[in-house]
Amino acid sequence: MNNDDRTTPGAPTPDAATGHGSIRLIEERCTSCMICVRECPTWCITIEAHSEVLPDEQGHHPSRQRVRTVHVLDEFTIDWALCMYCGICIEECPFDALEWAGPHVLGAADLVGLVHDRHALAEAGSR
Amino acid sequence: METCIDWFGDGSLVVVDLSLACCAVESEFAVPEGAPRLSAVPEGAQVVAVISGTIAAPVADLVRTRIDSLGERTHVVAFGACACAGGPYWDSSAIVPGTGRLTHVDHLIPGCPPPPSALAEHVERLRDGGGEVT
Ligand code: SF4
Ligand code: SF4
Ligand code: SF4
Repeated sequence: MNNDDRTTPGAPTPDAATGHGSIRLIEERCTSCMICVRECPTWCITIEAHSEVLPDEQGHHPSRQRVRTVHVLDEFTIDWALCMYCGICIEECPFDALEWAGPHVLGAADLVGLVHDRHALAEAGSR
Repeated sequence: METCIDWFGDGSLVVVDLSLACCAVESEFAVPEGAPRLSAVPEGAQVVAVISGTIAAPVADLVRTRIDSLGERTHVVAFGACACAGGPYWDSSAIVPGTGRLTHVDHLIPGCPPPPSALAEHVERLRDGGGEVT
């Protein structure tokens, strides 16, 4: 018995109307820049990353004294118990690595179950 | 503060919705049309307490007392980010950051607010699963 359709017959449900059910992480675009983490009003995004020296001459070049490194993402989580679905992270990401996706995040039996890791976020919307 | 809703109209499952803030608009919208409002829980009915909205610190004791009064076997649902973990106000001293600080919680529904369908579907699964669903 889903009363979302009590308004106008055939009217879209809130999920379908806004498309704001979950957020997908497109990992290959993410540079671990932390902008989304800092901009999120509820601090519900966490990122863990490490630096790696670029290969060969990209990293160590005779003309440079300093080595060049790149951030590599180790973990990315969103705590859905706190997310207010504001979309600021999506708006602020300079690399379009986040996007609205899929149906509303399912409930869970405990708070830990509402923390989605990078694998779950990569698959948002595909279930 | 709340109503006692005979969700399926057959006395099998009642929902007590503690409407505390904006999320209550959505949880109210999930109620099946014409579901009877009762003043007491019928004998043998499964009881589901829904916390919808921000738990302001001054009402925390009221919320805890009311949930406790429904009995140990009450299935407690935190509906929305405020009830789950304090939502946008999680670091404010004026609120309780989540229903779990007051009582046991069986199911948490994310969203600010969640869609009504998330609650309706969970209550239906509870009935179908004989209360064993989390
Ligand atoms: S939608 Fe808003 S609250 Fe949710 S993770 Fe993004 S910035 Fe944070
Ligand atoms: S703002 Fe975008 S690129 Fe930067 S860490 Fe967040 S998701 Fe990754
Ligand atoms: S979760 Fe959002 S919509 Fe629900 S009560 Fe809190 S602020 Fe209001």
